[in-house]
Amino acid sequence: MKRIALYLALFAGAVVSVAPYLMTLNSAFKEPAQVLTTPAWEPAFPVTLENFAQVWSQYDMAGFLLHSLVYAGAVTAGQVVFSTMAAYAFGRMSFPGRDVLFWGYLATMMVPQIVTLVPLFLIMREFGLIDTYLGLILPTAFGTPYGIFLVRQYFRTIPRDLESAARIDGAGTLTVLVRVLLPLSRPILATLATITFITTWNTLLWPLIVTNGDATRVVTLGISALKGQHSSQYHLILAAAALALLPLIVIFLLFQRHIVRSIALTGLK
Amino acid sequence: MIDNITYDRSVQGHRRVERRLAARVRAVAEAYALLAPSLVGFLLFLVAPIFGVAALSLFDWNLMGAPSFVGLDNYRELAADPEVWRAVLNTIYYVVLNIPAQTVLALLLALALNRRIRGGKVLRVVFVLPWMAMPVALGIIWSWVFDPRYGVVNQALGMVGIDGPNWLTDPAWAMPVIASVNVWQYTGYTMLILLAGLQAIPHTLYEAAAIDGTTPMQRFFMITLPLLRPSLFFVLVTNTIGSFQIFDTVFVMTQGGPGGATDVLNFHIYQQGFQLFRSGYASALAMVLFALILLVTAAQFLYFRKRTVYDFS
Repeated sequence: MKRIALYLALFAGAVVSVAPYLMTLNSAFKEPAQVLTTPAWEPAFPVTLENFAQVWSQYDMAGFLLHSLVYAGAVTAGQVVFSTMAAYAFGRMSFPGRDVLFWGYLATMMVPQIVTLVPLFLIMREFGLIDTYLGLILPTAFGTPYGIFLVRQYFRTIPRDLESAARIDGAGTLTVLVRVLLPLSRPILATLATITFITTWNTLLWPLIVTNGDATRVVTLGISALKGQHSSQYHLILAAAALALLPLIVIFLLFQRHIVRSIALTGLK
Repeated sequence: MIDNITYDRSVQGHRRVERRLAARVRAVAEAYALLAPSLVGFLLFLVAPIFGVAALSLFDWNLMGAPSFVGLDNYRELAADPEVWRAVLNTIYYVVLNIPAQTVLALLLALALNRRIRGGKVLRVVFVLPWMAMPVALGIIWSWVFDPRYGVVNQALGMVGIDGPNWLTDPAWAMPVIASVNVWQYTGYTMLILLAGLQAIPHTLYEAAAIDGTTPMQRFFMITLPLLRPSLFFVLVTNTIGSFQIFDTVFVMTQGGPGGATDVLNFHIYQQGFQLFRSGYASALAMVLFALILLVTAAQFLYFRKRTVYDFS
């Protein structure tokens, strides 16, 4: 009896977790009139692609998605490469100022993003980077304290003997990093890349501030503008929301193992 | 002969020291070379802006022309501005609606999943699905779910004869709706962290306590809760810091409305800084938000340090 109650509660939780996704997808395939007249849980019939076709042709949906892909892709690449380099220095080498710097990095993780926003905007304006990809990408592309911390912690679990053996064989720092540590660190790098991509893809505030033209408009800006214009044309904005979420769902399903494990790890330090 | 040997040794020693020194210098140079990109980013895009915002908060500047130094005027203005106080209270109200609900729900789910049940792994993934959703897309979807006429919630309420409120355009309901969207998004994430904490508690403790004839309720309060404290502390601190910065859902769902009922600090700062271009004033507001977060975090640290009294090694 208690067991049944437990399963029922968990099942209810699971339904609530996926219901908004399923209802959105379901309604996006309905005919415009039906989106308003039929309840969201009623299956789409007849199934139509009209809503997707309409957002795709009337708005630069393809452009939004492409711009987000460039933005999130570049930030992810930078984050993985530069965080790994810094993590190696912090985790495996000794140099004057290491601990002070590392604590400095950690301390800034506490600082809310809005605090840095006005000066960051001014810096980008000074460099003439408003409305450019560089302006979008630069603040997070050099590796964030979070990323560096994540990789450093992982590096410290890898036995030093492996590294010493390579050193005795005459390997330099870069060789050790690339040939010895990186192959062993694939899981954590996959985790970092996935989380960075998802976070960047979802970011609204920084693009909202640093871009305003069509040439770099990312998907978060694109669909929030769409909502502003057509707040009750649900067939359109739901189709757009579904398109914006699609890449995330694909990535999540591909990397769910890494994501679940990395979240579990965050609390156990 | 003897002299020769000592001479040789000292030269060799000297060379060894030199070689070691060169190797050390090389290692330090290598370390800084590896660190260089992240250090540039750190100093230019994180440290400089933090000092910049403190300095800017003492100026009046509309982003054009020259900034003029006004001392603490911005702080005086914001302290006297009822909209700022409303934004502070709205932010706190949001955090209070969000954090306890999310943490309790997450703890219950984690306790359920910590038992050996079928499909536990799949459920874990399902519960984390909301976490990765784009808040902007979520804002759109939930605006639709809570639409007074066409939304699922009022349609369902209508089926049982209840006339649902106007949710997002009702000042009393707008904030609870926004909070519930975030509870939906982050409960699974919090649950996973707590679940990891639960799984780290040694089983032998429960077995020993069971032999001593304790009830499950006693075991929860005497073993589970105290040993879960570090994980609970972590999720409370990080989720609270995150909650104080609520922006995206407000931006998409209400734009601070109706009548300022969801005008939270982060949104207020955005409007002042980037819609009205009052960068000095917005910087002062940002300092206030920062101070608020530091204060709450410090309080949480003190509270948990006082009460975390366990040792089992």
